Amino acid sequence: MSGSIEEFHSKKAGDGYYERLEAELKKLNAELHAFNNITLLNTGGYPFSAKDNLCVEGVETTASSRILKGYVPPFNATAVERLLKRKFTFIGKTNMDEFGFGTFGLNSDEPARNPFNREYVTGGSSSGAAVATSVMKYHVALAVSTGGSISAPSSFCGVVGFTPTYGLVSRYGLLDYGNSLDKIGIISRSASDTANVFDLIRGPDDKDSTSVSEAPKKEKAKKNLFVIKELLKGETQSYFERFCDKLRGLGYAIGEVSVPDIEKAVQAYYIISMAEASTNLAKYTGFKYGYKNSGFEKGYNEFFTEARSNFGVEAKRRIVLGTFVRSSSVRSKYYDKAMKVRALLTSRLSKTLEKGNIIIPAMPILTPKIEEARQMDSVSVYKMDISTIPPNLCGLPHVCFPYDYAGGMPIGAQIIGSHFSDNGVLEFVQEWEKTFKYKFKYDVGAL
Amino acid sequence: MKVGLEIHVSLPTRTKLFCSCKARGDEDGPNSNVCPICMGFPGSKPALNGKALEYAVMIAAALDCKLSKLTSFVRKVYFYPDLPKSYQITQLSDAVGKSGKLELSTGKAIGITRIQLEEDPAKIIRGDEYTLLDFNRSGRPLVEIVTDPDIRSEDELRDFVAELRGILYHIGVDINEELKADLNVSVDGGERVEVKNVTGIKALSDALKYELGRQNALAGKGQEIKRETRSFDEASMKTISSREKESDEEYGYIYETDLTDYDISRLHVPKPVIPGRIAKEYAKRYKASEKAIREQIMLSREALALMDKAKGRHEMNEIIKGIELLKRYGRLQMGYASFEKLLEAVSTGMLIDEKTIGKIEKGESVGSFKRISDAEIDDSIRKMIMDNEKLLKEYGKNNKVFNFIVGKISKEYGVDPRHVSDRLKAVLDEIAK
Amino acid sequence: MEEREFDRLVAICRLKLSAKEREDIRKDIDDIISYFDEVSKVDTGREKEAYHPVEMQEKLREDKVVPFGNVQGLLSNTKTYRFYVVGPKV
Repeated sequence: MSGSIEEFHSKKAGDGYYERLEAELKKLNAELHAFNNITLLNTGGYPFSAKDNLCVEGVETTASSRILKGYVPPFNATAVERLLKRKFTFIGKTNMDEFGFGTFGLNSDEPARNPFNREYVTGGSSSGAAVATSVMKYHVALAVSTGGSISAPSSFCGVVGFTPTYGLVSRYGLLDYGNSLDKIGIISRSASDTANVFDLIRGPDDKDSTSVSEAPKKEKAKKNLFVIKELLKGETQSYFERFCDKLRGLGYAIGEVSVPDIEKAVQAYYIISMAEASTNLAKYTGFKYGYKNSGFEKGYNEFFTEARSNFGVEAKRRIVLGTFVRSSSVRSKYYDKAMKVRALLTSRLSKTLEKGNIIIPAMPILTPKIEEARQMDSVSVYKMDISTIPPNLCGLPHVCFPYDYAGGMPIGAQIIGSHFSDNGVLEFVQEWEKTFKYKFKYDVGAL
Repeated sequence: MKVGLEIHVSLPTRTKLFCSCKARGDEDGPNSNVCPICMGFPGSKPALNGKALEYAVMIAAALDCKLSKLTSFVRKVYFYPDLPKSYQITQLSDAVGKSGKLELSTGKAIGITRIQLEEDPAKIIRGDEYTLLDFNRSGRPLVEIVTDPDIRSEDELRDFVAELRGILYHIGVDINEELKADLNVSVDGGERVEVKNVTGIKALSDALKYELGRQNALAGKGQEIKRETRSFDEASMKTISSREKESDEEYGYIYETDLTDYDISRLHVPKPVIPGRIAKEYAKRYKASEKAIREQIMLSREALALMDKAKGRHEMNEIIKGIELLKRYGRLQMGYASFEKLLEAVSTGMLIDEKTIGKIEKGESVGSFKRISDAEIDDSIRKMIMDNEKLLKEYGKNNKVFNFIVGKISKEYGVDPRHVSDRLKAVLDEIAK
Repeated sequence: MEEREFDRLVAICRLKLSAKEREDIRKDIDDIISYFDEVSKVDTGREKEAYHPVEMQEKLREDKVVPFGNVQGLLSNTKTYRFYVVGPKV
């Protein structure tokens, strides 16, 4: 192992390290709300956290939803299990948009705060995972992306967010949002830490029928890069163009491609993810786990309906819309069609990826203030995912990493590879890290 | 009238459909064979039982279905306390099999719409103020057999169930107690009525009888037959209207993306055995009663195996007789070599009882297998009649003497009394002339 | 979306909305649906539905009983009566 994991082990955290870490985190968490709970399960290992939609045996897991308050899973998610087996130290569950429903991290009763400036959003839905990584010197976060939930907060919080090829990391133990879209990934401070942890958590799992047995290809960073013309828009464009010049100076060839219909990935994504989410959330009925409704005698329909009022408003919106798009009269128009759009866009993107990797901005806007983000209507928020959705919809591996700072706030770009080119995109970011130093406001747990 | 069925058959796998919990543990305490998957806990994922898929494919093949090249699952969303995820993982357009048929003993074919694999909900005990749930049953593999509305009478319903039971039996699925069905019944001019959750073969027949009577009575009075869902109450033997309005529900089927497509052609499943078809074929080829063959092989793998080996080498009627004897004495496990000896004994017409079968099984001699000729038996009969003149006068009036002679001669020669009785009748008739 | 259709959907979902939630969802549901309508403009030609983004390899589980080791952990999440899970009346 190289990077900060090796450094951490070479420095030998002494007695009391984990207690101090816990105390410091708890103090900072009162301001930043990165964690839904801080629970040290073991000591002696490199610290890791899990997004609050990943099951950890014996530790409350709520996906930041009131309907899951009190749920204590009797088993570990496979990714968590694999890190515990390798003696990593579990430190807690990170904050998130409820069930992963959000771009800014605001769909939580107590949203996480951006460590660079608390008036600004963290990005979502893996808000707490990005914040925890941004404030901790030695730590990796297990996070989850469905449509950009790793890239968005990584971009706004200035950390490295890796989303692997769909199926490479088992989803067992992940509270489902969109089963055909959900990917467990890693947020860390360096691509080499990520590569090391990725090697430990990936690989087939009999408990997840959609986990694949292919190993990611062994490959170096590709020198040919492509930007997608349709995605070069908005506030971040000028920053991104300067970044491209810098890359050219480093010896990369950057071409421009047009991918017709790429913007429609957003609609296709929201249709598929809401349809799947509305079925996944049907199981929360207020009596077997999590929130317990009272009054069994009132009959199951009323009982369930009452219990389900504990969902937040964005969850309710998505349940209603997801139920609508899969209803028999319109299913082919929305759900089936969206699945076809996914096939089309996957083949179009794959064609470009045969020639090189794709590099695009992570977000079309600079980090907004919390108050600005709260003013946006739903469609405008969904459109913010224009750059993070295409690789997510198509299951392509990608890494979001900081490439610049604007007014003290980090800006991220995404490097995207073809299916199973996970190592290639991580290698690219490792190369980048040799020439660019990331900035952090805190170094909790430094040795 | 038109009747269609949706039959749920529980498969005899060791584990549940999507998890490794024990599928059959009726003797175990409530909620002992459970895990996060079959209790629908957040974070759990299904993993398909290969054996259950094999059973479904065998059933679909035996019912002449077109097998889907790739089969896949859907989520059927509805809310009920016994449904752990509030959706059932089942199948629809990519079900294991489609467009099949089952041939009744009369030769008429009943169309099979679909064969689908799905999970059983939990067991629910209804209380006045709450329910109690046992998830041991949750996730047990079921095959649903959906028929076209081709059944036209109670007789056809019974015939269908009997043939289906035979087919399933030879696949290794016994539906005697496990059969659960929904009946769709309509009479001319009336709407379709669904009778849900009928359990057992007898109840199915009773439910249809009641429902036909009810609908015909309404039609006779010129009253409207409403489209509705009813349930069958076994105690009163009546169907009762269910109050739930299904029209407001929306299952919203979507592909189950926690699972994948499954290539059926890669499974190695044995060729289906269709006992009704075999009975027809053997009756024709070996000149024996179809009904008698059917009776022996329908619900007996052993009988069919013995018959298959012996056919062509022995008289079919003697094979049937041999199997009958083994069934009577519970000896169907007999090896083929012994069965051959038994058939030899049968062919001599000798009396075969439990003791004889025991001797055959042990390889002991059961006396001479030399066939005693009818002439020899007839001679003895004549001799006894000569010694006993009054027999002639009593013949036709008194069985006592008749039975005495049959007993005596069958004992003397070790011959089946039924055969002696046939000979005695023949001799007496001859003398009477 | 018609008021009645909206109410029917909410009922199917077993949801109850507060006045504020209802207003919040009602106000942009039509915008979202007309946004979704734009997928029909994409010419998907003869593409088949991609239910997964990556080609899947089917996995069949062996029919071998492996008891879950932590039934107690499952049932401690829920209200039980003599090991039965207690649920609402039907």
